Amino acid sequence: MDIGKSGSKAPSTALSKSRLRREIARHRSVYLLALIPLIYYIIFKYVPIWNAQIAFKDFMARRGVLGSEWIGLENFRTFINSFYFWSLIRNTVMYSVGKILISLPLSIILAICVYECTRPALRKVVQTLAYLPHFLSWVIMYGILLALLAPGDGVVNDLIKLFGGQPLDFLSNVKTFPWVVLFSDAWKEMGWSAIIFIAALMGIDVSLFEAAMVEGANSWQRVRYITIPAILPVIVTVLILKLGTILDAGFNQIFMLYSPQVYSVGDIIDTWVYRQGLLEFEFGLATAVGLFKGVFGMVLVLLANWLSRKLTESSLF
Amino acid sequence: MADKKQRHLKPQMQNSKVRLTAADHTFNVIVNIFMVFILIVILIPVWSTITLSFRPNDYLGSNLEGMFLPPWEWSTDAYTALLGNDGFLDAFLNSFKILVGGVFCALVLTIPMAYVLSVQSLPGRKIINMIVIIPYVFNVGMIPTYLLVRDVGLMNHLPAVFLPGAISTYNCIIMRQFFVGIPNELKESARIDGCTELQVLFRIILPLSKAIVMTIGLYYGVSFWNDFFHAMLYLNDNQPLPILLRNILLASGMNEYVEVNAFGNAPVSAIKAASVFMSAIPMIVAYPFIQKYFTKGTLLGSVKG
Repeated sequence: MDIGKSGSKAPSTALSKSRLRREIARHRSVYLLALIPLIYYIIFKYVPIWNAQIAFKDFMARRGVLGSEWIGLENFRTFINSFYFWSLIRNTVMYSVGKILISLPLSIILAICVYECTRPALRKVVQTLAYLPHFLSWVIMYGILLALLAPGDGVVNDLIKLFGGQPLDFLSNVKTFPWVVLFSDAWKEMGWSAIIFIAALMGIDVSLFEAAMVEGANSWQRVRYITIPAILPVIVTVLILKLGTILDAGFNQIFMLYSPQVYSVGDIIDTWVYRQGLLEFEFGLATAVGLFKGVFGMVLVLLANWLSRKLTESSLF
Repeated sequence: MADKKQRHLKPQMQNSKVRLTAADHTFNVIVNIFMVFILIVILIPVWSTITLSFRPNDYLGSNLEGMFLPPWEWSTDAYTALLGNDGFLDAFLNSFKILVGGVFCALVLTIPMAYVLSVQSLPGRKIINMIVIIPYVFNVGMIPTYLLVRDVGLMNHLPAVFLPGAISTYNCIIMRQFFVGIPNELKESARIDGCTELQVLFRIILPLSKAIVMTIGLYYGVSFWNDFFHAMLYLNDNQPLPILLRNILLASGMNEYVEVNAFGNAPVSAIKAASVFMSAIPMIVAYPFIQKYFTKGTLLGSVKG
């Protein structure tokens, strides 16, 4: 997907001024159509960017965005020198990478199994059910996890007790919490992430399989030499796109699941920004951290977009 | 359709002459075992929540045993308690208002924006494109948006929940991509016949784009329906369903949430599970419909072509 690539290049550069004027006049109504969305953009997307200047200010609610005093990079310095700086970065990256490591192989295997499944009914049921959790909010997910993992009467702890183990408080234990985050995400999104691979598999030319069968390749060999190479470009694209969002570790999920006991392993940049800004009212500091994340996120997205254009000849913008 | 299904089937099913080797059999067995395993993994958490919501008050066994409790011993106390409470209905109505208002605003803003970006001959299109892309790539975080919502006086009004997210640039790009794919001759001939751009959009483009409008509308709908964070930030009262559910789930005893007896005498964990299930019902009911369009949309967004 490339907005800049096609079309407009030829007209706009080589045009004489009068022709340009005529073009603009001809498109009057298009500009009119753009007016309301553009006003929306200015208010709801650009005013926040303007507001982000409080990252460089000692923000006081009474004085407002403009009235507060400039303090330079003070907020950034506070953040970078603080003890939580590395733990926030580490947790954020750990969850993003961990989710890729767990969900991606699972969704690829699921896609291959859905494609290879010899029982249409089973395939249909699995496909339908596997997509469903994607549409549930993390509040609902938290409720489901409570029924499963509650320390006193959760089903999993009942099982542990049955086998003579010690019950665990999964959501407030620093050892178990990260795994709950990673696997609940896999449970919720695995089926949904498989869709794109299933689509790629359905695009494989069936005659390839037939030829392989005639040559005596068994199922394993066909998966190894036809299926996997066929979806490899899609896997690369998905990985690249995930690279762009590596600082988004899943705010909604962690915000629902974590609690003060597990802040040390659960806190990510976004949850910290929320608490610092909207609970402690340290708007300047929280905005600085948000901006820090925004700048790195931008670099990563642009890098991912560039890589994707280089390697797969498709990009988001 | 039949053709599509055939292509989806495993290749060897179509060619019964090829003899299956032992390795093929093992492969098939492993694939089917994995599928059943996934099915079970998906169903267990759902089943434990559903059975928990029907747990009778005088139940003494563990919740693990409760998963195998026969249905005639189930109790609907938790549901009668929830339905008898006004909070649930109010929250549902608020959620519905956010859903309808949000999807309406989102479409009214996204469709023209996507259309404008799809007019290839438009002078200044690249500038407009930049205006759209920059905030998408450079995300300044939640605090600056929070200040904006506060400053324009949207605090504690329902639109605060959906207005800041009323154009999702990603959705806008997908829709634009679809509009670009509509043959130019159609638009040009309409323009030559004297249609204004607004007429081209409404008479030519939109009738051809029902599927994509539906898909994008559902994208927005699901995100507004599931949103709890913005509602939590911006609303003090008139709270939607996810917030009510969150309050119920986080309350260690029901009395933290409302007066002790407001929910009757069902067990607390059953009430929690029942509110989870009831909150999920609208989504589950709409799911077959949503799934159809969402699958299409995902592919539009990710696979080029």
